Amino acid sequence: MSKKFITAWLALLALMMLNVQPAQSMEGPDTATLDSLTDLFAPVSFNHAMHVDVVANDCAVCHHHTTGTKVTDERCARCHKNSGEANSVACRDCHNANPFSAENLQKIADAELLFHTDKPGLKGAYHRKCLGCHQEMGAPTACENCHTKTEKGEAFYRSGKFAPTPGKEPASE
Amino acid sequence: MKNLLDRRKFLKGGLASGVLASVLGTGKKAFAEHSFGGYPNSMGVLVDLSKCIGCRTCEAACNKEQEMPAPDKPFDDMSVFDEIRHGQKRRTSEKTHTVVNRYDVPGHDGPVFRKFQCNHCNEPGCLSSCFVNAYTKTPEGAVVYNEKVCVGCRTCMIACPFYVPAYKYSSPINPVITKCKMCYDTRLKNGRPPACVEACPQEVMTFGKRRDLIKLGHERIQKNPGKYIDHIYGEKEVGGTAWMYLSSVPFAEVGFNTELGDQPIVNYVKEFLTVVPMVLTIWPALFTGFHLLAKRKENQKESQKATTPSDRNA
Amino acid sequence: MKRFVAQGYDLPFINNTAISGGKKWTIKEKLLLGLTPSQYMDQFVRNPFNWLFTLIFMVGLPILAGRFYYGLGWATHGSYDYPWGLFLGWGLFVMVPLSASGFMLGTTVEVFGREDFKPIERLALLNGLLGYLFAVIFLQVDLGQPWRLIYPMFVSLGPAAVLFLVAWHVATYLSVQVAELLPAVAEWGNWPGMKKFVKSMILGLTISGIILSTLHQGALGALFTYAPGKVHPLWYSSPFQWFYFFCSSIFAGLSMLIVVSTLCKRFLSWRCDRRFLDNLDHQTMGLAKGAVLSLITYLVIKIIAIAHAENWAYLVTGWGGYYLLEICFGVLLPIVLYTKALRNNRPGLARFAALVTVLGIALNRINTALVAFNWNLYREIPHWREVIISITVYTLYIVTYRFILYRLPILYQIKAKP
Repeated sequence: MSKKFITAWLALLALMMLNVQPAQSMEGPDTATLDSLTDLFAPVSFNHAMHVDVVANDCAVCHHHTTGTKVTDERCARCHKNSGEANSVACRDCHNANPFSAENLQKIADAELLFHTDKPGLKGAYHRKCLGCHQEMGAPTACENCHTKTEKGEAFYRSGKFAPTPGKEPASE
Repeated sequence: MKNLLDRRKFLKGGLASGVLASVLGTGKKAFAEHSFGGYPNSMGVLVDLSKCIGCRTCEAACNKEQEMPAPDKPFDDMSVFDEIRHGQKRRTSEKTHTVVNRYDVPGHDGPVFRKFQCNHCNEPGCLSSCFVNAYTKTPEGAVVYNEKVCVGCRTCMIACPFYVPAYKYSSPINPVITKCKMCYDTRLKNGRPPACVEACPQEVMTFGKRRDLIKLGHERIQKNPGKYIDHIYGEKEVGGTAWMYLSSVPFAEVGFNTELGDQPIVNYVKEFLTVVPMVLTIWPALFTGFHLLAKRKENQKESQKATTPSDRNA
Repeated sequence: MKRFVAQGYDLPFINNTAISGGKKWTIKEKLLLGLTPSQYMDQFVRNPFNWLFTLIFMVGLPILAGRFYYGLGWATHGSYDYPWGLFLGWGLFVMVPLSASGFMLGTTVEVFGREDFKPIERLALLNGLLGYLFAVIFLQVDLGQPWRLIYPMFVSLGPAAVLFLVAWHVATYLSVQVAELLPAVAEWGNWPGMKKFVKSMILGLTISGIILSTLHQGALGALFTYAPGKVHPLWYSSPFQWFYFFCSSIFAGLSMLIVVSTLCKRFLSWRCDRRFLDNLDHQTMGLAKGAVLSLITYLVIKIIAIAHAENWAYLVTGWGGYYLLEICFGVLLPIVLYTKALRNNRPGLARFAALVTVLGIALNRINTALVAFNWNLYREIPHWREVIISITVYTLYIVTYRFILYRLPILYQIKAKP
């Protein structure tokens, strides 16, 4: 994962230096609020514009081919070389919030010709994409760097005011 | 598979007849017990260690779902990764059914995390060792147990090759076995994935039919050349497990026992189990024969004594 | 007691009719060995062993009670990696083979018709019964849920499990042994009807005793076949484990009987009659013969098993050294000692050999259950409370043993007529 990413990144840098602008004009929000999974953590306020800068306008880094950018991954290109802009570019419209629901598992099982059988769910997609890049770039990676725990979250993790009373060690071993 | 089931029935029959022979009654039920392993549509979980970031959310989810006792440290306290007892990293206990451990693998970029819980074997050692029949392998793939009948003998802890079952050592009144049930009662039964799977932010775990997951796992290895060790841990180990693992570092480096072999645990016991019916059938005849022989000699002596009377010492 | 006997007291009842006065002993008098309560207290206080036992109980019983109040995790390390500790390692896996004497002597006398072993048969049966009884008590201390002990029998049956066999067989064998000892109780209480009833089925009981013993002694070994890779390969053998345990239980039981009979002769001579004392040397040699034969069989099987599994390479490791130590001390040394004793007709040496054998078998069982278990992980040193509770329960075993030997016609015969 890491090596591939670095390669892609270097390729992008090279493109920038050659002053080749991506074909697509930049659209999209300046900030997006990711709140569809909010429960244990407060919504994430995602600075889209800043991240667009970071990836030097290459939407494909996050959005695959859905924005119409040329796909860089050879394996994707085999099918998606000429795929145009998708109807929706939002993560949640392709990545299922309940990937392991019986319906979704059945849908995958029934679709005999489906290639993307290993598509992560929405939460997985967010975290893998964000964290993967953050790790590569040395950006913050702790949970609360991106989203603060709700009270429910603190109870869930038994942290903060729900933390176990210290000094109570497990039975002497 | 057919053969396997037949063999099991045979073994059970042998033992059951042992009971019948030693004590009249009971035992009859034994012939018609549930059948084992290899349910075609059983569910499983594929754990991709390369995706785990060690956030311990799965531990917290398990604790909440199973209404486990309060942990010793908060679930977002990462100092637990440094806990070492007797040279061992954390393991399952009466307080936790799943743990994540951190491994520093030489030559690997950054730490590797390994989630660990009951692997839900196709032919579980715990199940075959339980003399109160507390364990059940459900058609959904979970290995569950009935703590209402558990005597607390802890043979399942001996028999588990993965060191999974724990025991409620702290309970003076009702100390029984406790282990991961794959959230059978609350989730799996209703077609939902275990709490840890659902809670994982990274989707380290993929839930699905076991046979699909094997396919998926091999595809993932194939589609990402060089990324994974070309092995799905649990596909064949001890007869196959419902929980299987992909790793980008050698399994032995992250706490997996790679020397378990593919035989289910019960296969190691069958040599003794075949002895049982033999002893039961041969011994009575053999020793009655010995007795008759000995008596015959004695009778001969007695008749000799009758002719030449002499006292034997008492 | 010796002093009372030396002082010329009527030996506490040896007949059902008291010698003085011609009237029958009451049960209470029999329980007090024919002494008055103050005389009984006198002999009790004078015996130094009683002081030792009292001390052990004073320390141990509160801790034993604590185990049931605070749970097993308080009394032991509560180890998940070593689920079985001393209570089972010692109380079950050592006590049971040492109690194999019951079925061995039962077979010898009742099945093979060797009437010359009759004087020691009852001691062998008692040794068997008490060993099993206290193995079950140890089990109770370990499990802590006495009311669930019958679950494998009646509530929820797991007949494909090895432990199922152990449970059923130990339970039935325990009742067989009670039945086998009933004649002694009948004689003591002077209840002839009971004796007659048991006599009629003694052969059946004995043969079922052989079957049950073969299987549960073997099954205790087979329990470890569930743990391939956990038990060190030198102590583990899928095909032979049951035979290791069964075969070694033969010499374990016989040697334990020699040890116990020696202790009786040394400390309870007042209770032994001439029939027991005069035959003891001859019987010790007979038992020694049986023990040495099974020891040799055991050694051969051990070697075959190593060859079978091609485990030779392990012998040159540290574990191999420890294994060889166990074999040398627990098997080879007894073979040499027993053989010497038999060749030179030295019962004293045979008794020493028996002691070594008993220690050797204890070492083997502890090694299999605790030391060589989890050989890849770490050693678990038992918690001090665990050790004290084990000593306490074992002391309870000795006290019970002595209580019965004092009274029932085990070491002596009740004469029909004064």
